[in-house]
Amino acid sequence: MGRKKKKQMKPWCWYCNRDFDDEKILIQHQKAKHFKCHICHKKLYTGPGLAIHCMQVHKETIDGVPNAIPGRTDIELEIYGMEGIPEKDMEERRRVLEQKTQENQKKRQNQDDSDEDDEDEEAGPSFQQPASTVPPQPAYAPMTQPGMAPVPAPGMPHGSYSGMPPMMPGVPPMMPGMPPVMPGMHPGMMPMSGMMPPTHGMPPMMPGMPPGIPPPMGHHPGLPHMAQALPTTTRPAMPATTVSTPQPSVSKPLFPSAGQVQQAGSGVAVSASAPPSAAPKPTFPAYNQSSTAAAANPSSTVAKPGTPVTSKPATLTTTSATSKLIHPDEDISLEELRAQLPRYQCKSPSAGQAHISSPPVAAMGGVLPPQQGIPAQQPGVRHPMQGPYGAPPQAVPGYVPGGMPPYGQAPPMVPPYQAAPPRPAIGMRPPVMSPGGRY
Amino acid sequence: MSLFGTNTGFGSAGTGVFGTATTDSHNPMKDVEVTSPPDDSISCLAFSPPTMPGNFLVGGSWANDVRCWEVQDNGQTVPKAQQMHTGPVLDVCWSDDGSKVFTASCDKTAKMWDLNSNQTIQIAQHEGPIKTIHWIKAPNYSCIMTGSWDKTLKFWDTRSPNPMMSLQMPERCYCADVVYPMAVVATAERGLIVYQLENQPSEFRRIDSPLKHQHRCVAIFKDKQSKPTGFALGSIEGRVAIHYINPPNPAKDNFTFKCHRSNGTNTATPQDIYAVNAISFHPVHGTLATVGSDGRFSFWDKDARTKLKTSEQLDQPITACCFNNNGNIFAYASSYDWSKGHEYYNPQKKNYIFLRNAAEELKPRNKK
Repeated sequence: MGRKKKKQMKPWCWYCNRDFDDEKILIQHQKAKHFKCHICHKKLYTGPGLAIHCMQVHKETIDGVPNAIPGRTDIELEIYGMEGIPEKDMEERRRVLEQKTQENQKKRQNQDDSDEDDEDEEAGPSFQQPASTVPPQPAYAPMTQPGMAPVPAPGMPHGSYSGMPPMMPGVPPMMPGMPPVMPGMHPGMMPMSGMMPPTHGMPPMMPGMPPGIPPPMGHHPGLPHMAQALPTTTRPAMPATTVSTPQPSVSKPLFPSAGQVQQAGSGVAVSASAPPSAAPKPTFPAYNQSSTAAAANPSSTVAKPGTPVTSKPATLTTTSATSKLIHPDEDISLEELRAQLPRYQCKSPSAGQAHISSPPVAAMGGVLPPQQGIPAQQPGVRHPMQGPYGAPPQAVPGYVPGGMPPYGQAPPMVPPYQAAPPRPAIGMRPPVMSPGGRY
Repeated sequence: MSLFGTNTGFGSAGTGVFGTATTDSHNPMKDVEVTSPPDDSISCLAFSPPTMPGNFLVGGSWANDVRCWEVQDNGQTVPKAQQMHTGPVLDVCWSDDGSKVFTASCDKTAKMWDLNSNQTIQIAQHEGPIKTIHWIKAPNYSCIMTGSWDKTLKFWDTRSPNPMMSLQMPERCYCADVVYPMAVVATAERGLIVYQLENQPSEFRRIDSPLKHQHRCVAIFKDKQSKPTGFALGSIEGRVAIHYINPPNPAKDNFTFKCHRSNGTNTATPQDIYAVNAISFHPVHGTLATVGSDGRFSFWDKDARTKLKTSEQLDQPITACCFNNNGNIFAYASSYDWSKGHEYYNPQKKNYIFLRNAAEELKPRNKK
């Protein structure tokens, strides 16, 4: 009993005062009796964990730890096994235990045949196993693997973290002192699981990453111009100066979803090393190609490292058994993809055309110049705008803050197509068919 | 304040003419429909600044137009005016005094629209489509910042045809945000650059992306003292990164969260991951809204690291969103964003802009 180490007594449960031989058993007991969700029976790891689970998943609040004795029901105390037990409760326990042993001894003295009791007593304490670090580890082991995967998947343009050192130096920082500080992880995990609504199983992995990942954000010594960019005057909002602590090795922040893992890694890593300029050229496929590729199932080409063919691996890799990215294959933005279409090509060679020089095709109004009087913006004057074209787009009755004539009497903003048969290009909905006239 | 009278009344009734006869999935949240929406996908929305009375909303679209509506306190929207570019409009912003609206387009120009005279004048020229436009108001200068696919970031005094400054970027500009004295630009190939705008704009730091996929949208957030302190970055992979510029503990303070994904708990079917199309921060509460290709919007509290609300699914992706200056109105646009390629584009499909009362739903969750 409590001879040398402070915590060196038989493991006991703070919530219900029961004794156990082994901390492992104690933890199993806690998970089953105190940290088990009454709604779905999921076993959590701590009291706060259970509270958060019930809130997020079932939208229910719980007031206390289930099956706990009065006075020990605090749901906010983070206790795991023997860790986290408040000191005063530990002392109280020790006192109680001592009292009990004293009582026993007294009784024994009073009794004649007490030898057996003595033996039992002494045998007890010697069974204590620290073993406190053992149980937790397996629980977290699964976290490490997926965690490691992304590390070599840096895609860091600055070769300094080319994914080589990754694993080793990478891992410890990612799980900063995990085993010893397990309960400490939980606060880190739980709150963040709020952001991951979907799964139960996932949260432990995801949130595990961020705390441990010191993204080397912008701490690259290799970019001297940054330093120069900082004038000597102090800038309260951007107290850059000596940027913060230099980041340790770990490179890639990211936590992949279960599926992404390696493929994303290899793809990104390779493509990142290629000179960025190489990418744009091939990635503007002919218009048709993009359209077929888009709907087609992206899972085909998967990891084509290095070859910046038409599609960069980055978008493709996320198609896995568990997830699918709803995005066309090409790695260009949706707007760039869309802007390539003929119907969205600009009506006039706007290069250098300052001011509004009413391009012939510009706005709808352009079709019937005389009646409308004015093609686009120019006039902006009060313009009756009756024309067959309805009141369309023109900049209508001026803008006078504070109540105005509603947009142009007219009809709807939706220029009725009936008007004006000859309608080379409208800008609104150019009929895709007509070629040419648009440019 | 411009609180909406009745959400119920206007929601489904809307303009009356169109749509509610069929299924209601175009407006499952029963929010107010803005009248006379553009005829093609809406690319950007912006509310007027607090310096002018009332709420005016401008929205740019792929129909080459930018429209302005007045949003009245009872929820009525009145179309006010419209201007055209010769190519799709990709971004809009207001000047700080609310008298001008700036528009950026695929036609490689940016225009300044004087609302009082309803005249526009070109104020910028790039060699490629201009993707972002922001007004910068510094103590010693004011200008327009334009980010383009020609890989340059240019700053313009609206009175001169030549840029005051031109900064080279590593890649095409995909999205940007400005909260003086900080500007953030996210580019193709996952580039991320922070600029400081004091005295004159200059590159402050290049940041390694916290995300593994193409950057799509970015929004700066402020600290309790209203100073810009970090930004939220969204990618095409249903994920947003919250990143502080100089946090005390980067490993703990910076984080990412998943969003805009289809049912994740059901592991039998592969999860669909949608792009985050836009992020906006509530001007008062500091909580944020994200809208995605899945046709939903979500509200989040980044400090409590929890989700506040997710909407029902609209039948089209949500392409843009913004809050009005006092945070009472949340506007979001429902239109096709090209996330499924060319095949799913239906030019006949109506595009919508909805307005929602945001006063209550974006209150931060009390931290435990």
